[in-house]
Amino acid sequence: MALTQVSSSKCCGGFQKVFEHDSTELKCRMKFAVYLPPKAESAKCPVLYWLSGLTCTEQNFITKAGSQQAAAEHGLIIVAPDTSPRGCNIEGEDESWDFGTGAGFYVNAMEEPWKTNYRMYSYITEELPRLINAHFPADPDKMSIFGHSMGGHGALICALKNPGKYKAGAVSAFAPICNPMQCAWGQKAFGGYLGSDKSTWEAYDATVLVGSYSGPQLDILIDQGRDDQFLSAGQLLPDNLIAACTEKKIPVVFRLQPGYDHSYFFVFSFISDHIKHHAKYLNA
Amino acid sequence: MQELNLYSVGMAGPGNQAIVWDNSTNIGKGLSTKGLSIPAAGTMERHDRQSKKNITEEKLPRERRRVTPPPSTFQRFSVDTNESLRFDPYVSQSDEDESQLLSSYRGQMQYSDEVFEEEDEAEETPIRDKVYSTPESDRGEHKMDREERLSEDNETEPDVFCTDCKTPTWSSQNLYGPHKDHRVILIPRATEEIKEDLQKTMSKLKEQILLMENFASHLEEIFITVEDMGTSLQENFGRQEQNLEQHYNDVIQALSQKYEQGASRLADEKKLKLEALYGQLVDCGKTLDISKELIETAQEIYRKENKVTFLQGNRAYGLSFNRIEDFSKDEPDFRLLASMEFENNTVDFSDIKQMMDSINILPAPSAPVINPQIPNSATSTSVHVCWSLFSDDTVEFYELHYRPVLDDATPANLQAPEVSKMRVKETYLTVMDLLPNAQYEFWVTATNTTGVSPASEKAVYMTVPSPPVIKWRECMSCPNAALIRWESGNTNPVDSYTMELNEIGAESNDDSITESIVAIPTCECLTQLQPDRQYSVGVRAVNIGGPSDRSKPVIIQTTGTYFHLMEETAHPCLLISEDRFTMFYGDEDIPLSDMIFSDNTFARCVAVLGDLIPVRGRHYWEVSVGEGTEFRVGVAYEDTQRNSFLGGNSTSWCMRHVITPSRHKYEFLHNGWSPDIRITVPPKRIGVMLDYDSEKLSFFNADVDQHLYTFQCHFLHLVHPCFALDSPGTITIHSGIAAPKCTIFD
Repeated sequence: MALTQVSSSKCCGGFQKVFEHDSTELKCRMKFAVYLPPKAESAKCPVLYWLSGLTCTEQNFITKAGSQQAAAEHGLIIVAPDTSPRGCNIEGEDESWDFGTGAGFYVNAMEEPWKTNYRMYSYITEELPRLINAHFPADPDKMSIFGHSMGGHGALICALKNPGKYKAGAVSAFAPICNPMQCAWGQKAFGGYLGSDKSTWEAYDATVLVGSYSGPQLDILIDQGRDDQFLSAGQLLPDNLIAACTEKKIPVVFRLQPGYDHSYFFVFSFISDHIKHHAKYLNA
Repeated sequence: MQELNLYSVGMAGPGNQAIVWDNSTNIGKGLSTKGLSIPAAGTMERHDRQSKKNITEEKLPRERRRVTPPPSTFQRFSVDTNESLRFDPYVSQSDEDESQLLSSYRGQMQYSDEVFEEEDEAEETPIRDKVYSTPESDRGEHKMDREERLSEDNETEPDVFCTDCKTPTWSSQNLYGPHKDHRVILIPRATEEIKEDLQKTMSKLKEQILLMENFASHLEEIFITVEDMGTSLQENFGRQEQNLEQHYNDVIQALSQKYEQGASRLADEKKLKLEALYGQLVDCGKTLDISKELIETAQEIYRKENKVTFLQGNRAYGLSFNRIEDFSKDEPDFRLLASMEFENNTVDFSDIKQMMDSINILPAPSAPVINPQIPNSATSTSVHVCWSLFSDDTVEFYELHYRPVLDDATPANLQAPEVSKMRVKETYLTVMDLLPNAQYEFWVTATNTTGVSPASEKAVYMTVPSPPVIKWRECMSCPNAALIRWESGNTNPVDSYTMELNEIGAESNDDSITESIVAIPTCECLTQLQPDRQYSVGVRAVNIGGPSDRSKPVIIQTTGTYFHLMEETAHPCLLISEDRFTMFYGDEDIPLSDMIFSDNTFARCVAVLGDLIPVRGRHYWEVSVGEGTEFRVGVAYEDTQRNSFLGGNSTSWCMRHVITPSRHKYEFLHNGWSPDIRITVPPKRIGVMLDYDSEKLSFFNADVDQHLYTFQCHFLHLVHPCFALDSPGTITIHSGIAAPKCTIFD
């Protein structure tokens, strides 16, 4: 559980830090970024977990999303982990950008050779929160989750699979992969990590999970760039999620933002809305 | 004053008076002494004379003294006026009269006195000596002769008085002669009887004088009583005292006059009677003399035993006989010439009585002074009128007159309003049954037994207005302010309004006024309040008469923002509920021709504005809509175009719900543009947060605390909530509710 501070930079009155640790879940050296708002010097703060998208490390979010300002304002700790185990020396892990390293898909792999290390779901929902709560002034009762693209998918399934774990069910996502079983990215990853039995896939598909959700009221905010090439490519499929949520009366506000693409520029543009959305519940 | 002084001396009035009137007291004393000195001197003089005359009997002086009123009596009436001065001399004069009368008949009187007395007294000589020593007796010689004869022929005088015949006669004649069997008494006794009669008369006179004295002293008592009152209430009854003095003096003068008149009349009568009696006495004496003479002659004749001589002298004696015979034939008239009764001198005191009665009469009161209206003494139907009197006025009752004051607007040809009149004993009256917020002219008169005072000045009193009526449907509030609107409740304008705020459930007394806002010129008032409190707000209308009763209060809660729909802006197709919280858009089509539009009604969009308090800050309200209701909910400037759709212009912002064949479509419209937003749960209760401070308008699904959308808008001026129905349905607004937490971080 030992943490090694990789970097620490003062930012917006607080500190943007990066730590390194040996993950028991992933059985590898993992890095994660944590923003400590000024408030964290004197009080425990809610923790907002950010899950990044394909190919990202802990650096993309902290360097591109511009979340620190809003986090400082709302007194939120933002934890941004890496997107997959690294350096596990699994064959083919670096072969493609949408599978393996940088594409953990926030599932617990069931197939060899991935199942030993690629346990991102457990890492995100259990190990990392334990670590954060142990080493930082975090309020263990107040956590929330959001993400971008694959991370959006991760955020949604974490919330949907753990009713009540994320405070008041505030979830948000930027251009999430809403229905991975129905898109190429999802089918590739799920097939690889979970095997060919599609019934096991359902446990990691947000749209499917919505149908079986039973728990505290969720409040889901989704922003989607209209000019996102992956939207038009059918990788994201927000309509399926919206339809499922409409069916299940799970409150979603889906904002189709005209002109925006899939990039961190898009994330940057609406990050404060999302932080506010979470802060509303975390600070309530 | 000097008259008073005299009284005070006479009555030994209160010490203070004596001091006050010390100066004049001396004068009075001097006067009274002077007054006294005259009769005293007279008396003395007479006494001297009498002692010289050596009249031992004191009958006359004693009588005189009895007749003479005691000096004090005179002193009392020795008032310092000419009349009373005349009165004083009168006393001496009467004495003088008497003395003159006496002196003129003194000889005879004393003589006769002696004659009467001689009967009883053995020693006649000293008396005779006295008589002889009288220097003024001009008929001395003659008398002497008679006296000699009398003394010599004592027994031959008539020694008795026949009461039947009222004539002196001889006792012998009682046995034989004309007076046989008549009741006779001795002459001296007869004289005594006459004298007694006289004395009776005198005492009657005295009684009358005594009566008058008593009456006078009664008057004095009255005066003293009044005077004492005057002393104790000198300040207050100065005027009354003066008045009484004057009246009393009049009475005294009248009484003095009466006394004077009565006394002089009596004296005159007495004088006449005495004169008559003396005349009779003298006659009586003369008769006696003649009788004696004749008796002597008869005796002489009788003594001459020589019949010749007797007969010789027949001729000479014949005359005598004739005389005796004639004389004896004469029946001396012994009836008393003077009536024993004095004329009935019942004094007519009726005028005095009247004067006495009039002493009690007070001057009519002066005009009372009516007070100006005391603030807060009036109600809407009554005024409390006060006035005061001058301290030394005595008032039995007042009459308060009043009439409404017509304002200028009243046509001049209308009759002057009727004057009402009320009688009251106090110096105040609450006049009831008046009209509210009306001016009345009041004046008052005071009345006592004497009469009615002049009217006081006129004072205008004003009833307070009727309480205003709070238009609760047009009242609005927000967490830190309230706008209260009311109707005057009065047809005439009032001066101002006072708004009273009561915080309900405050730590202090529930009834205590938390705040009062005064001098509100119009029928509405915007006031700052504390958030999350409950206030009871009442309004009073105020005019110069004071504030009206408090209006029926309206309860203001500063929990949220509270407003009603502005019915006057509603599209003709919209029905607004009684409570102005719900709007209906019916299914049935109303022909355009039946719709009545005004400048203020929405003409195209079936919309209505809400009446939001004109206060910046944050306002939150919620809207209930049916799931299938196509609505527009948002805010708009008050002057937003009535012929365009809400959200379709730059003057309105709204969330729109449209049902498409596939889904519920939600738009957040401003200037005709909306972001593309999907909402998975159609809100049935929409929360709207208007935040002037951060220039945001946010919408929420209030049921699930879901933030739906936020407009960033730069409000140029104040906005009102707006509501529209794009298809038949219902919208109900919920105002006055706290903003949920989900709105805080938006």
